[in-house]
Amino acid sequence: MSFEIFISQFLGGLSVAMLLFLVASGLTLIFGVAKVFNFAHGSFYMIGAYFSYQAIALFDNFWIGVVAAALGAGLVGMLLEICFIRRISGREEEGAFQILLTYAFILILDDAVKFIWGPAYKTITKPESLSGSFNFGTVTMPTYNLFIIFLGLVIVVSAWYILSRTRTGKIIQAASSDSQMVGMLGVNVSLVMTLVFGVATAMGGLAGAMAAPLRTVAPGTGVEVIIDSLIVVVIGGLGNFWGALFAALLIGEVNAFGILWMPQWASLLSFAVMIVVLIFKPKGLFSREKGRKKI
Amino acid sequence: MKRKSVSILSALLVCLTSAVSFSAETIKIGALYPMSGRGGLYGQDSEAAIKIALAEVNAKGLPGGRKLEAIVTDDQSKPALAVTLAKRYITEDKVKFLYGVVSSGAALAVTEVSKEYKTIFVGSDHAATDLTANAFQKYYFRVSNNTYQSMAAGALYMQETKMGGKIAYIGPDYAYGRDQIAELKYSLGKLGVKYEMVGEFWPKLYEPDYTSYITAIIKAKPDVLVSGFWGGDTVAFIKQAKAYGLFDKMKYFHPDGGGNYEVFAALGAECPEGLIMSARHHNNWPETKENRDFVEKFKKATGRYPSYAAEGAYAGILVIAEAIKKVGNADDTEALVKAMEGLKVKLPEDPAGFTSYIDPATHQMVQAQAIGVTVKNDKFPPAKYMLGKFKVYAADKIMATQEYIDILKKTKK
Repeated sequence: MSFEIFISQFLGGLSVAMLLFLVASGLTLIFGVAKVFNFAHGSFYMIGAYFSYQAIALFDNFWIGVVAAALGAGLVGMLLEICFIRRISGREEEGAFQILLTYAFILILDDAVKFIWGPAYKTITKPESLSGSFNFGTVTMPTYNLFIIFLGLVIVVSAWYILSRTRTGKIIQAASSDSQMVGMLGVNVSLVMTLVFGVATAMGGLAGAMAAPLRTVAPGTGVEVIIDSLIVVVIGGLGNFWGALFAALLIGEVNAFGILWMPQWASLLSFAVMIVVLIFKPKGLFSREKGRKKI
Repeated sequence: MKRKSVSILSALLVCLTSAVSFSAETIKIGALYPMSGRGGLYGQDSEAAIKIALAEVNAKGLPGGRKLEAIVTDDQSKPALAVTLAKRYITEDKVKFLYGVVSSGAALAVTEVSKEYKTIFVGSDHAATDLTANAFQKYYFRVSNNTYQSMAAGALYMQETKMGGKIAYIGPDYAYGRDQIAELKYSLGKLGVKYEMVGEFWPKLYEPDYTSYITAIIKAKPDVLVSGFWGGDTVAFIKQAKAYGLFDKMKYFHPDGGGNYEVFAALGAECPEGLIMSARHHNNWPETKENRDFVEKFKKATGRYPSYAAEGAYAGILVIAEAIKKVGNADDTEALVKAMEGLKVKLPEDPAGFTSYIDPATHQMVQAQAIGVTVKNDKFPPAKYMLGKFKVYAADKIMATQEYIDILKKTKK
């Protein structure tokens, strides 16, 4: 394999990984802090794409669309947390309720999108400035995919800064390991939960808006990203932010080179990686040994 | 007080019986379509087309002054759910016909129900050849093309335009994707077209990101990329591949479902020029009055142009109405089956001088297939490109051969 093909396949895998990470990181963050398994997380990715479609239709600007997607998805996320998810937290039957509730969100959001925007596929065009491509020798790399990689890195760095260098980040980390204790120290835990939900769903919405020019904007697309995101979250360790990053990169690159070398088996690769990881590290690669604390 | 409640009760009873006697006059069709999620568009378009067709046939009248009525239920493209709903249609709603079904997997399950309950199943839209070959049963009829017909037309196109050399294939990793390339290879073999496969790629259905497939295909350096994508997957693949310059490096050939209108509507100005595609129905071909009328009626009813699924759903209702007229009632199922065998129905997709008919042996609608190339055309907004420069393949040249049906019977029992 020539170096050029390696680079092309590697960068392609990286751009897939970054979009995957944007969705999976939100999913894992919600699990880590709020202990909620948000099945509907992919649906925020979907509504992000639709919010961006609507904003672009109104203002004719891609970036306003991206901002609208993140804000819109974040607001819907916080609303659902306040109105529904908060109501079941701490109950004995919480686990089963979470699944029922968040699964219901998938159906409701899918149908809401269909009612508002209709069943036909929507299209979002890339911004003019990112529509070109770079050539490395014989290999072409679209500018837009490079931008997604860049954006992913910016989010990783900011997330690292916020989580480990700011007071808010420390509260989030503390709430993730023992929310009752944090509450006793005078922190408004339910506000933290709502904000975490908002940020996580906003990231899903952002991913939806960024992916929209490359993919299909249609009802039901949320369910398709949630499976891959679940794999990433499980491999990385439930609730582990850095685990999600590592696992997204792993899945992205394993798929990229798997498709090149053994295309017949490509759709099995993600699952194969997950199985191997779970055999050796049943709680995921980056799991904290103690796991989830039971109170 | 008591008398009053009795009179209300009797009034209610009168209402009820009148409703019953009214429904006894209508002939019920139980349609199953995906109405939500990715396939929802096809279900919604099919429902709209069914309504248009029902209005037409009911206005013309049926024997005994009876009317056709369709019930549409969301089968979510799930075989188990489709079976439950189909049985309920037959036992509770007393439908005379099962109808529709987009997913071939669901259709293969529903055809078993149709066989068991001896109820006619008119399939529109699902394309697995199996239904009119190895999984054939006499109560099943299909009113739209199957993948064999599309791929046979594709092979003829390749022969005619001397397309061959190195071929790569990409298609969804399930029966629909697998069948298409097997059928193309079979037809190419029959025609003696020389080619070399340089790669087969199998993303899962609804794969959101094809980036790594695209770079791998470019590395394989085929002359022709044959594609078996369906619906929104075509849109995602084309958008992603265009940025990599894939379409400048090879011909893109997508003879079953690439040229679906909803793909062009979603791609808009981003659609590359020169892609070679087809569909089971084109909004701009044939340029007959029937096709123009159908497309305009649909646009008027829904505010959008129809996806390929609509015409199949429209066709089936016409077939049912014709069969009932021939038999004189809708109660004699065996007579209806006989009447539908060989039945001729003029459809929007029929080119001038040709009328679609049902093959008595396989119950497959015999139709022509037109393959075209993407060219600028903004007459059907929001699409900016449509197919043009059509090459048309005669209906009788693209039907599954007995030899192929025998192969399927042997290998897919």
